[in-house]
Amino acid sequence: MIAWTMDAADLDLRNATYRLFVTLGRAPSAWETATVTGRSEAGVREGWRRLHDAHGLVLDGGEIRMANPFAAQPTPFRVEAAGRSWFANCGWDAFGIGAALHVDSTIYTDCADCHQPLEIHVHGGRPDSEDLVFHVLVPAHAWWNDIGYT
Amino acid sequence: MLLFRSEDHVTNWLAGRPDGATINVAKLAELANAWWGNRLAPDWRPRTREESQSILDELGLTGSFWTLG
Repeated sequence: MIAWTMDAADLDLRNATYRLFVTLGRAPSAWETATVTGRSEAGVREGWRRLHDAHGLVLDGGEIRMANPFAAQPTPFRVEAAGRSWFANCGWDAFGIGAALHVDSTIYTDCADCHQPLEIHVHGGRPDSEDLVFHVLVPAHAWWNDIGYT
Repeated sequence: MLLFRSEDHVTNWLAGRPDGATINVAKLAELANAWWGNRLAPDWRPRTREESQSILDELGLTGSFWTLG
């Protein structure tokens, strides 16, 4: 992991993209982000590419795939918080949505082994089902080698 | 980075593949709070590797598996 840097303009774009993700309950399009930020759509896409390279968000085919902890596409980790619903990229990110919003949340997922549905309520940053476990297969030094797999 | 009902279910899911690391969800929640808590802050800045490693270290997630690249 490298100490990535972003200039002020790209940080502004990153923050606006995240705000839209929260407000919309889904990933914003480049056009929506351009409208809000006063940039051109091409300018947004160029900025997103720089942010992708700096691990500020993750693109797929030029569209947002992840603004961690939020996922752009449906995943097995759905999170309800603050009256809205988002998908998270993984179990860690599922807990991250409530943490990022600083609100209680409910995580809907299933056991990756037996697929029994799991509903985890997180109050004050603590889960109500402490008997569950979280497994990480990829060692930390390799997390960004293939962030989708990780 | 998946959730399981128990460590037995992790073992079953691995089916003999090399293991990674398992923590309980209480520890995961602590990790998520520390890792993602400022994600939406207006003054958010990318963390350095050292800052990220400190979060893991302070939660006792140490050793080669938890050492960032």
